[in-house]
Amino acid sequence: MYILLNAFQNLLRNRGRNLMMGGIIFVIIISVVTALMINNTANGVINDYKNRFGSEVSFVPNQEKLMEEAQANSTDGRFRIQLPQIEPEKLLAFGQSEYLSEAVYTAETKGNSDALNAIDADKGGGGGPMIGRVGPNGTQEAESLGVQYYHKISNQYSDFEDGLRTLTDGSQYPENENECILSDDLLENSDLAIGDTITVTSALTENGAEPGSETYTDISWEMTIVGTYTDMTEEYGGNMMENAYTNRKNEILTTFETISNKMQDSLSGITVDAKFSLVSPDMLEAYTAEVREKGLSDTYDVTTDENSYNRIIAPVEGLKSITFTFVIVVLIFGSIILALLASIAIRERKYEIGVLRAMGMKKLKVVLGLWSETLAITVVCLILGLGIGPIIAQPITNVMLEKQIAASEEAQSGTEFSGGGTFRSGGASAMSGGPTSMRFGGPGQEDVQPLSELDVSLDIVTILEIIAIALLLSSLAGIIATRKITKYEPIKILMERN
Amino acid sequence: MTSILTLNNVTYQYEGTKSAVLKGINVSFEPAKVYTIIGKSGAGKSTLLSLISGLGVATGGEILCGETDLKQLDRDNYRAQSIGVVFQGYNLLTNATAVQNIVLSMNISKSTEKDKKGYAYALLNRLGIDRETADRKILKLSGGEQQRVGIARALSHNPEILIADEPTGNLDKETEADILHIFENLAHEEGKCVIIVTHSKNVTSIADTVYRISGGLINTM
Ligand SMILES: Nc1ncnc2c1ncn2[C@@H]1O[C@H](COP(=O)(O)OP(=O)(O)OP(=O)(O)O)[C@@H](O)[C@H]1O
Ligand SMILES: [Mg+2]
Repeated sequence: MYILLNAFQNLLRNRGRNLMMGGIIFVIIISVVTALMINNTANGVINDYKNRFGSEVSFVPNQEKLMEEAQANSTDGRFRIQLPQIEPEKLLAFGQSEYLSEAVYTAETKGNSDALNAIDADKGGGGGPMIGRVGPNGTQEAESLGVQYYHKISNQYSDFEDGLRTLTDGSQYPENENECILSDDLLENSDLAIGDTITVTSALTENGAEPGSETYTDISWEMTIVGTYTDMTEEYGGNMMENAYTNRKNEILTTFETISNKMQDSLSGITVDAKFSLVSPDMLEAYTAEVREKGLSDTYDVTTDENSYNRIIAPVEGLKSITFTFVIVVLIFGSIILALLASIAIRERKYEIGVLRAMGMKKLKVVLGLWSETLAITVVCLILGLGIGPIIAQPITNVMLEKQIAASEEAQSGTEFSGGGTFRSGGASAMSGGPTSMRFGGPGQEDVQPLSELDVSLDIVTILEIIAIALLLSSLAGIIATRKITKYEPIKILMERN
Repeated sequence: MTSILTLNNVTYQYEGTKSAVLKGINVSFEPAKVYTIIGKSGAGKSTLLSLISGLGVATGGEILCGETDLKQLDRDNYRAQSIGVVFQGYNLLTNATAVQNIVLSMNISKSTEKDKKGYAYALLNRLGIDRETADRKILKLSGGEQQRVGIARALSHNPEILIADEPTGNLDKETEADILHIFENLAHEEGKCVIIVTHSKNVTSIADTVYRISGGLINTM
């Protein structure tokens, strides 16, 4: 206890020296606080974007390869681009990978049921393609081809997560094959009850040689209603086409397997979506090799939306690396200066140490005393630094980010970036001549703007890092003191003085 | 009477010097006695005291405290508790006040005194230093005052052995007499062993035994 008291008295006794020491420590701490705050915030933003853009995998058709293949297969010079399908079993296999953090499958098709009394049935069905025809009296008219469907069948439950739909009390999500839930309005409209079984029919399509020559294969389900949901959005949710098929209240929600089990080779009518997310964007190469092994045709490229990510995040990346370098430089120089200061201070205080040792104070206690002096200075500087750092960090960030944006725009101008896209297999509308839901290009084409604002904040991790650094620095001074003191024998110090 | 300190054939040579300062010291000290050690300047008096006080370690021979070799003792504790040293160069914390110096020394010695500050003021007062002077920094005290603070510090933890290196060198006759009286009392009334290095005839006059160091050896006068 008296050691702390003595250390405190020493702080006051040697005000000049301690103020200088404090000033230097303060400069180091405030620099580190500011730089670390920016660095950690940038890091958080980067990780966030990495997860959002950098890790969603897309299987994008390679148009060049498709053309080549089509030309090679053509006999009479005419050719038709045919996308190879990725079978659902393969998709499921692709989803089984240690490189993926998430694999979400969705399947969608359409159906009709005699047992269901669709809402807005008088507006007609839909789901099929419209085709323009010249009517009997020479006018252009749109005619819906094929079967008219009144219900969309899918396993998309994201609306429930988003709060747009809620499961009615006492209901459950479909878990087993051939279980489904309906909107409460549809259930009431159809005079059905939970537990009833309904027959749902649909048809798969085989493309003919030319539009109009398709053949159909009927499929059907016996589905048990296990619950109802309430839809809180508008029935048509902004859809231009208002009919029973587009009415959200007519949707039948079931499981992925219920739908995908009905898929048949080379027949379209069921769409399967898979959304894969990589554990980390740099696993793309390894994952690509894995899916090729598992049988992904090389007409598909495996990509992530890295370019959008790079464009958005490049300035922040710049900021991050600058601040990181800055922290390292400050720490190295700071340590050197502190080490020098500490050894000068110890030499200056050699006599004092000799006196204390002559009085019988143990080496450890002498060191402890010196160390608590440095520690006290450090703590004061820490409090000041953590108080002032956040105030100056934001304006510094703004200036730096502006510069980085300018620099990265210069570097990126002229560089075009190709888009990614989500993958779909199994053409949804055979009528238009092939699976059209395969997206070429995709969302990557959007005009992405680099991040222009970065709200720096002091989070607990940063605070802990700074405290750790500060303690490390003051301990460094302590270690130097210890080494010097162990070298001094009190007799030598005192005799030299005499 | 059994001796409290025994030196057997003690030698000491400073690092980097050609010859030893102490070449075989054989001497023993008993409680309740005043010893003075005289000798020419540079004879090795201060060196001998630093070995006795455990600040330095003898190059050869042994120093026994009672029955135990100093080498076996925790020399920090020995310095803090068994022995009190008045240094030739005072060796006080110059930035601290007189009373702070003494309280710190008492703390290091694990003194059980409750009111350490009060005790320190009283002790300083006994050596002729008033309260106002006691609260001044050592830097702002005269040589004689510093010397008396040094003596007060050596006495503050009531050690069995008191060692003093020229304790009256900076004092006038009157103060010197006061302090010598204190030393005499310590030995003869309180049974301490008092060892004083001096050039002063006044000091040798209170001694029970006088030793002289010359040529690295010690002899009785
Ligand atoms: N640190 C040292 N390194 C080398 N030699 C030293 C050291 N300290 C003292 N000496 C030498 O040792 C010898 C004895 O010194 P010491 O201080 O013991 O003498 P002293 O008898 O106390 O003299 P004085 O009466 O002047 O105080 C001297 O010759 C001195 O020069
Ligand atoms: Mg001397």
